[in-house]
Amino acid sequence: MSLHQILLVLKREYMTRIRSKAFILATILIPVGMIAFIGIVIGISVWDSDTDRTIGIVDQTEVLYPRLTEISPERYEDFSKIPQDSLRALVQEQEVDGYVILNEDHITGNANPEFVSGGSGGLGLQQTIKSDLREVIRNERLARANVSDDVQKIYESQITLEMRKLTKEGKETDSDTGFMTVVGLAMGFIIFGSISGYGGLITRSVIEEKTNRIIEVIASSVKPIELLLGKMGGIGALALTQLTIWITTLIGLGMAAGPVAQMFMTPDMKENLANADQAAQASPALDPEIFSIPPIDASLIIYFIIFFLLGYLIYSAIFAALGSAVDSEADTQQYMFPIMVPIFIGYFIMFRAMENPDGMLSIVGSLIPFCTPIVMITRIAITDVPFWQIGLSILLMIGTFIGTMWLSAKIYSVGILSYGKSANWKELMKWIKE
Amino acid sequence: MAVIEVQNINKSFGDTQAVRDVSFEIPKGRIFGLLGPNGAGKTTAIRIINHILIADSGTVTINGMKVSSETQSMIGYMPEERGLYKKMKVGEQLIYLAQLKGLSHAEAKEKTHYWLDRFEATDWYHKEIGELSKGMSQKIQFIATIAHNPDIYIFDEPFSGLDPINSEMLKEIVIELRDKGNTILFSTHRMEQVEQMCDEICLFNKGRAVLKGNLRNIKQKFGKNTINIEFEGDASFLDKLEDVRINNRSTNFAEIRVLNGQHMQDILKTAMDHAEIYKFERVEPSLTEIFISTVGEDNINPNELG
Repeated sequence: MSLHQILLVLKREYMTRIRSKAFILATILIPVGMIAFIGIVIGISVWDSDTDRTIGIVDQTEVLYPRLTEISPERYEDFSKIPQDSLRALVQEQEVDGYVILNEDHITGNANPEFVSGGSGGLGLQQTIKSDLREVIRNERLARANVSDDVQKIYESQITLEMRKLTKEGKETDSDTGFMTVVGLAMGFIIFGSISGYGGLITRSVIEEKTNRIIEVIASSVKPIELLLGKMGGIGALALTQLTIWITTLIGLGMAAGPVAQMFMTPDMKENLANADQAAQASPALDPEIFSIPPIDASLIIYFIIFFLLGYLIYSAIFAALGSAVDSEADTQQYMFPIMVPIFIGYFIMFRAMENPDGMLSIVGSLIPFCTPIVMITRIAITDVPFWQIGLSILLMIGTFIGTMWLSAKIYSVGILSYGKSANWKELMKWIKE
Repeated sequence: MAVIEVQNINKSFGDTQAVRDVSFEIPKGRIFGLLGPNGAGKTTAIRIINHILIADSGTVTINGMKVSSETQSMIGYMPEERGLYKKMKVGEQLIYLAQLKGLSHAEAKEKTHYWLDRFEATDWYHKEIGELSKGMSQKIQFIATIAHNPDIYIFDEPFSGLDPINSEMLKEIVIELRDKGNTILFSTHRMEQVEQMCDEICLFNKGRAVLKGNLRNIKQKFGKNTINIEFEGDASFLDKLEDVRINNRSTNFAEIRVLNGQHMQDILKTAMDHAEIYKFERVEPSLTEIFISTVGEDNINPNELG
């Protein structure tokens, strides 16, 4: 095997792709697309909450309705003067979403109120009405029972949980589990996306050389294994470049956000030069930290790169073999499915790992080499994964990579020179045995 | 010493044996033709010589060295299935391919410029292959084959798919390369092209080398047992001839191989009774005829012979 040849192939793969419009567009459009997607999701939820529901309340107690309007002045309407028949008609005509009749029994007895609706509103609305009614009835009962202020306060008190994290060094800090969960998910998602995306790119690149018929010219100069390694290396370097661009942009934006925010403040402050000193003092009050990203452990980033690379290597070898076995991109379907299954299993376990990073499924998933890169990085970000698990998973991945590489080299060296038709599973087995 | 020496090579793909116990030698400075119908094993043999495939048994040496990655760069190879990277610029592509053959970047660049100038294609340097016409990209393919200046050239079915201008140009290049002392191996299933160019031949049929040697000697050995006849009139007399084999038959031409030592004068008489004879010539057999008489009529698919 000649390193010189591998590097020549690697350089070509890298250089021709990094200048391509497709790469430049993807580098810009994927983050823009993701931001747009998040924006749309937020937009939808904001827009959605605007659709107000109207619930008619027939309040025979005369005390519950005022309490309800305190909680939500817009949702509930006093329908006490409207006869029940008309109420039903209003619901049927969808003038109101539903109505509730409240009487003394609901306060003094144990009777449950009934919500009559046209079926619209869904679970969310039912939950809201339930909790609103529970609150007003409970408060009314408390008021009537003449309980002491102390007891009332107990009921009013809102208990939340303060998150603190004790580091190994014995320092107590604000827990960042929420933030780290997002980071872990993002990292797992990036690895998931890169493996499928760049794997597909490798498959296409191999097929391209076959359909262009340049492969035989190349094969008369380079060993198949050199071509394969060069290709995997070149596209891997491309993937790393793209990630680096994204991460530095993100960090850059995070760091720039504070100063930029300050810059926008300055013109206002400039109006009064005499107060310039004060302005300088005032600006730290607008904490630039709000705009910047909380620190991420360097070790997490190193693990991210390790798992990204190992995951890429394992799968890119398989994707290259796939490309060599088929004759056109349309024929990749029958093989694509079994390759994508473990990637998707990893992807789904990742969401489980987000909720329960130390659960059995998460641990097992993070040790199965085909799922490790996606699951393990999420776990490492969220929880303290024992080092033996990390070490074992890395060893297993290296072993798996050697296996997939060996298989891929076998299939690839035969596959690239067989034109005309796509190989079936039986032929693949024969190539491997050769 | 032979530049390429092939000894007893075998190669099977599953149950099909593509090459069976083939041996031949190619002397330095000659044009060597590997002939035979499609599927005879020519491309497999060529791939083994190029170290793209490994023979199951037997040896191949190039300039005395066993085939390896090193011997690959001594050879300029143009495969039957030709192609280039469509989205890569002509200049970059030629430099890349020459570098893969062991040239430094500077050397590769110099050669690329030299050959592009020579083929009056200097302006194409910055064009992508996809923008070029078929004839133009064929020229680029030649350059890619010869740019690293090897002393052995292998062309697999070089004339298939070539337009007449490039076909003629390739012939000139091949002869020019030979005259400079290089060795050329090419394969074809179109026999008539070989007759004009080859010094040595090797006939392939069903994976075996059935006939090999110097083209002149082979032809002389077969003797002047063939008649080329040109005529006008009723061609049906050709069907009445006995103990002959007719090749290259058309409305007013036929190549008649005389079997069993029949008198050629009798054939002339029969012909004169039926048609007006423009030309009657006693010649050495064509390569097609030599091939047929070597492997036997029953053993070939005549549709695959040109």
